[in-house]
Amino acid sequence: MVALARKTLIHEWRRFLPAILAVGFAGLLQLLQAALVLGIFGSASVYITKSSADIWAGYPGTQSVSLGQPINRDVAMHLRMDPAVSRVEPFDWVDGNWRGTQGTGGVPVFICGIDPNPDGLMFSQALSPELRARLKEPGAVIVDQADLSSLGVKLGGTGVINGQRVHVVGISHGLRALGGVNVMTSLDTARMLDGDPEDTDRMTFYVAKLRDPAMAASVAERLRGASTFGPYTVWTADDFARRSQMYWILDTGAGAGVLFLAGIVFLVGAVITSQTLMAAVIGSIREYATLNALGVGVGSLRKVVMEQAFWVGAIGLLGSIVLGVLLLLLARSHDVPVTLDPITAVVCLLLGMGLAIVSGLAAMRSLRRADPASLLR
Amino acid sequence: MSMPDVIAPSPNITLQARGVSKAFVSGRLRSPVLQDLSLEVHAGELTLISGPSGCGKSTLLSILSGLQSPDTGSVHALGMALSGLNRRQTEHFRLQHTGFVFQGFNLFPALNALEQVELPLGYLGLDRTETRRRAAASLEEVGLGPRMHLRPAELSGGEKQRVAIARALAKEPELLFADEPTSALDAANGQTIIGILHTIARTHGATVLCVSHDPRLVAHADRVLAMEDGRILSDRRRDATHVASPEISS
Ligand SMILES: Nc1ncnc2c1ncn2[C@@H]1O[C@H](COP(=O)(O)OP(=O)(O)OP(=O)(O)O)[C@@H](O)[C@H]1O
Ligand SMILES: [Mg+2]
Repeated sequence: MVALARKTLIHEWRRFLPAILAVGFAGLLQLLQAALVLGIFGSASVYITKSSADIWAGYPGTQSVSLGQPINRDVAMHLRMDPAVSRVEPFDWVDGNWRGTQGTGGVPVFICGIDPNPDGLMFSQALSPELRARLKEPGAVIVDQADLSSLGVKLGGTGVINGQRVHVVGISHGLRALGGVNVMTSLDTARMLDGDPEDTDRMTFYVAKLRDPAMAASVAERLRGASTFGPYTVWTADDFARRSQMYWILDTGAGAGVLFLAGIVFLVGAVITSQTLMAAVIGSIREYATLNALGVGVGSLRKVVMEQAFWVGAIGLLGSIVLGVLLLLLARSHDVPVTLDPITAVVCLLLGMGLAIVSGLAAMRSLRRADPASLLR
Repeated sequence: MSMPDVIAPSPNITLQARGVSKAFVSGRLRSPVLQDLSLEVHAGELTLISGPSGCGKSTLLSILSGLQSPDTGSVHALGMALSGLNRRQTEHFRLQHTGFVFQGFNLFPALNALEQVELPLGYLGLDRTETRRRAAASLEEVGLGPRMHLRPAELSGGEKQRVAIARALAKEPELLFADEPTSALDAANGQTIIGILHTIARTHGATVLCVSHDPRLVAHADRVLAMEDGRILSDRRRDATHVASPEISS
């Protein structure tokens, strides 16, 4: 069979170019906005994703790490007694207010009190053992490279949190927070900075490492049961990370924004693509009508149009993938938070292909004008 | 396919119209184009319908080929009543039995001559080698063997029309319809085209029905039907021995 659709596409590529570009840009925009949203809101769970804990214990119904409520310290014992657990560690979350020495106004900060020992679980993927050891000094804090300017501080500089003097002993990378600034301290320093006396026998979270991380779901389920320590619950790290991100995506309205923009991009792309494909069909309408006169069925002609739509989609999306990878690499190299998982990427690309197919269906309708009787005048 | 209305007239009558009328309505105005027209066309000869512009030649051709249906009357092609077929059956009938050549060449710009001819053959269900063989043979027959790998943009008008003829011919149709096949061409190319159509009627035994207002083609036709105002005024054979009375019913 002569590959009419493909040969026409190659020969008249100029005519199809707007459609290819429309699909390509629509796909690229979907990919980039998904990567940005996942990247930005991924910060909501850096506490989990940059740590090596397998399960997290916290107050029931906690939507996000940043919304932690204190739980009873005895929960730690309960976790430790489970044979599947190899290590338990507290994670203290204290809200604070930073005042710099150079007259920067108050900046809301999230004080992250962690175990500064070299084998500590919290932020094990972001802080080297050498760096975290520096936190053992009272009043020592580590802040992220990206937050230095908003805090108005440099390595070795000092500031005031909740009225207490702290000094910056280290700089971290990739520990940006959402809606504030992360300040990493030791558990003792965090206690010192915490103004609330009620918190002394309570802790925001306990995190635990398992002997077999694959068992996380069943261990979390098992540890959830006890009721003797007051309200608490246990999540797997993955669950809690997803929960934290979803909370922010929905709470900030970013989710609705993403869907809205995705819809607009789809609509605009489909209009341009279908118009282009229609023009291509109309441009060959006499040839299609001739084929129909020779007995080639309307169904076969429709197939040609749909095949064209498919190739337009495939070429356009190939462009989106190439450009998307380049742009994401560029963004990474400039500290712009972007992340893209394979499933999201595939969904974005399927959306682009859906756009091409819908446009093909619209263009197919133009074939009605392929009336062979109109060739006889 | 059922043939409810089979007629068995003299063996080489392949097209038969009985009492065909057609009118076009635009607004309140109803303009009759064909008026109670009857006609028989024979296989193995080139029949030319000539007449002034607007007299209904193309309309008659499209009704005889099943592209349009008449308001009244019936058309039988190869013994089959065209009005009894639905859209799919009509398409299937055209695929199996009819070829068309139009005034415009209607070739796909992206395909070379060989592919233009192969394209409809693919839908006939022929395999690759047979498709290739038939397409090449048809192009040879219209004298385009050496140019079969050129695209329409690289062919002259006369050559393009020959590709269009080869495309229709490769299906080996019993019925070949041509509407003003030479009007976009100069005299010499027009002579070549009508000569090819004539040869096809003779050598393939096909029924070739050609519509034209070009008087120079008359010399090449086996039979000439002169039309005016939706009626056939005269019916002449080339040997001039037989002048049939016009088939107009009163
Ligand atoms: N689809 C249509 N709608 C309305 N009127 C039509 C239509 N097709 C043809 N006509 C009219 O029918 C008449 C005959 O048209 P037709 O095309 O058969 O003429 P023709 O003999 O082929 O003329 P020409 O030699 O110029 O091609 C014309 O007056 C034309 O305006
Ligand atoms: Mg005409």
